[in-house]
Amino acid sequence: MDILTNLAYGLKVAGEPYNLTITIAGLILGVIIGVLPGLGGANGCAILIPVTFVMPPVAAVILLACVYWGSLYGGCICSILFNIPGEPWAVATTFDGYPMAKKGQAGKSLSAAFFAHFVGAVFGTIALTFFAPLLAAFALRFGPPEVFGVMLLTFSAFVGLVGKSPIKTLVATAFGFILAAVGIDIVSGELRLTFGLVPLMGGFNFIVAVIGLFGIGEILLTVEEGLKFEGVKVRMRWSDITATLKDMARYWKTLLLGAFVGVWMGFKPGGATPASFMAYGFAKEGMPTEEKEQFGKGHVAGIFAPESAAHGAGTSAMIPMITLGIPGSPTAAVILGGLMIWGLQPGPMLFKDKPDFVWGLIASTWYGNILGLFIVLAFAPAFAAVLRAPFPILMPLLIFICSIGAYAVNNRMIDIWYMMIFGIIGWFFKKLDYNMAPMLLALVLGDMAESAMRQSLIMSQGSLLIFLQPPITLPLVIAAAIIGCWPWLAPMVRRWRGTKE
Amino acid sequence: MLTKTADIIVAIVLLCLGLIIGWDAFRLGSGWGIEGPKAGFFPFVMAVIAVAGCLVIIRQAMKGTSSVKGAKPFVPAGGMKPVLTVFIPACGMVLLTEVVGLYLAAMIYLTGYIKLVGGYRWRTVLLVSILIPLAFYWVFEKIFLIPMPVGMFGAQILRF
Repeated sequence: MDILTNLAYGLKVAGEPYNLTITIAGLILGVIIGVLPGLGGANGCAILIPVTFVMPPVAAVILLACVYWGSLYGGCICSILFNIPGEPWAVATTFDGYPMAKKGQAGKSLSAAFFAHFVGAVFGTIALTFFAPLLAAFALRFGPPEVFGVMLLTFSAFVGLVGKSPIKTLVATAFGFILAAVGIDIVSGELRLTFGLVPLMGGFNFIVAVIGLFGIGEILLTVEEGLKFEGVKVRMRWSDITATLKDMARYWKTLLLGAFVGVWMGFKPGGATPASFMAYGFAKEGMPTEEKEQFGKGHVAGIFAPESAAHGAGTSAMIPMITLGIPGSPTAAVILGGLMIWGLQPGPMLFKDKPDFVWGLIASTWYGNILGLFIVLAFAPAFAAVLRAPFPILMPLLIFICSIGAYAVNNRMIDIWYMMIFGIIGWFFKKLDYNMAPMLLALVLGDMAESAMRQSLIMSQGSLLIFLQPPITLPLVIAAAIIGCWPWLAPMVRRWRGTKE
Repeated sequence: MLTKTADIIVAIVLLCLGLIIGWDAFRLGSGWGIEGPKAGFFPFVMAVIAVAGCLVIIRQAMKGTSSVKGAKPFVPAGGMKPVLTVFIPACGMVLLTEVVGLYLAAMIYLTGYIKLVGGYRWRTVLLVSILIPLAFYWVFEKIFLIPMPVGMFGAQILRF
């Protein structure tokens, strides 16, 4: 019962008044960030990282994690009331959430979404609490070749499973690694890819890239589409909440299934989007025929499934982040980057070296998700009102805030320019189906991946066979190869099956 | 401009970048040294992947098998103007930051944008564009002690 003792300790750390205040502040900020266009969880956390410099690491990670939970909760307000999915995994929620809101059941559909989030969160947090320590203990045996194998699997999962164009994902990932390599080589100390230019010697900071790609890029996309935020008005009533509780009792299978799919898929990088669609599909299939037809017209189970899956996936994305140092979602990647900035070495040793940090984070996940439910239920109309803020005021303010975030990371003026450049890149990439999540991940993990590879090769005196070593590395590399080539393998498998039949 | 054209242009730009990077990585030494790969090895491999990938992307775009709809205009009608009205003044703000610092530049930028693009009354405009940067100034410079760029003259003007 080691875990429970540790959890109790963590609950004590996260329950200190200062940390609880941070939890609530983070949640409220997070919901606002989740609601606003152009400010997702990843971007919001990136902007807040400089603020965390003045805090102890535990409070800092609690702040960022709670912004993450808040933004997950807030995201569904946007998709249900305004039919605008703020994040790709919120798309499935608009199928039933918006029709329901238009039918005059906005309060009910929102409370359904919030409770679904809560169920997903509880599942994810249980997985985080009990599974993460086991995984960390296992990962302590990992050397550089195994770490490289895990990295390979991570990126091949992006190429093989996520995004519309595998080849573009691959190219974006390669450029992420290239951007990470700019500057001083960590192994040999040589300057790389600087072309003699002084500003390039400092390299590219991933926070600046996040703010540019996800912030400025998203703002440009929003104004281009000329979105008008004319949403459905909402009022939360007690009857909405009681109705939701009744629905939850009726569709408990859908909720649990969604949460389970979410936690399972979210563990893998980029899993939240497929998880939400899968859960929606499963929920629809599992219904009797007369109810199946209600899907897409405003069925409450069509909200339960994708939302519980999305939040479950978002929460379990923290498991690989905290145990292996490999984040499962862009926001987790930013939090990981924050970890490095605060001087912590991500990876399994964190559980041994910094128990207060790890268990404080896990415990705050409990606090944050429970408090989050109450905050969004109580203040949903207020948060929705944020979106009614007029565009011509919101846009320049967001750009101003993004500039503050970009500058504060390193106090370099050039970073604000980089942010603008990344903004244009993000705009082009988003429109042309280049997947930016793996690019960001490559930028964060570039140094780690490269040094893992080079250390392994130093160990083996240059022989690549070290990556084909049983018992851990070989299966990882084989799995990576199969998953990475899946878009090309799948048609072959289908053809082969076809001929057999 | 069609999406197909944009797709090809972006791929060509990335291809050229990949070639430049590959060349620099090759110069650093892309092969094996005494202790495993040299400094240029990893970027070189990535550049090769990028270049090869871009060639495939260009071919897909030409053949029309790309995942984006090539025949659609890259920017929908009337979409370019709002993008530029956000982006160009934003660049102007950054340029101004070099001169008078971020807070003053933001005040000028916000005033200009909200008045000219939004067309709000002066009272609203000044309330938002003066008070919000001042609030940020107070939070960042005074509470969190995070300095923002002051430019060439910003320090002389903002003295409190």
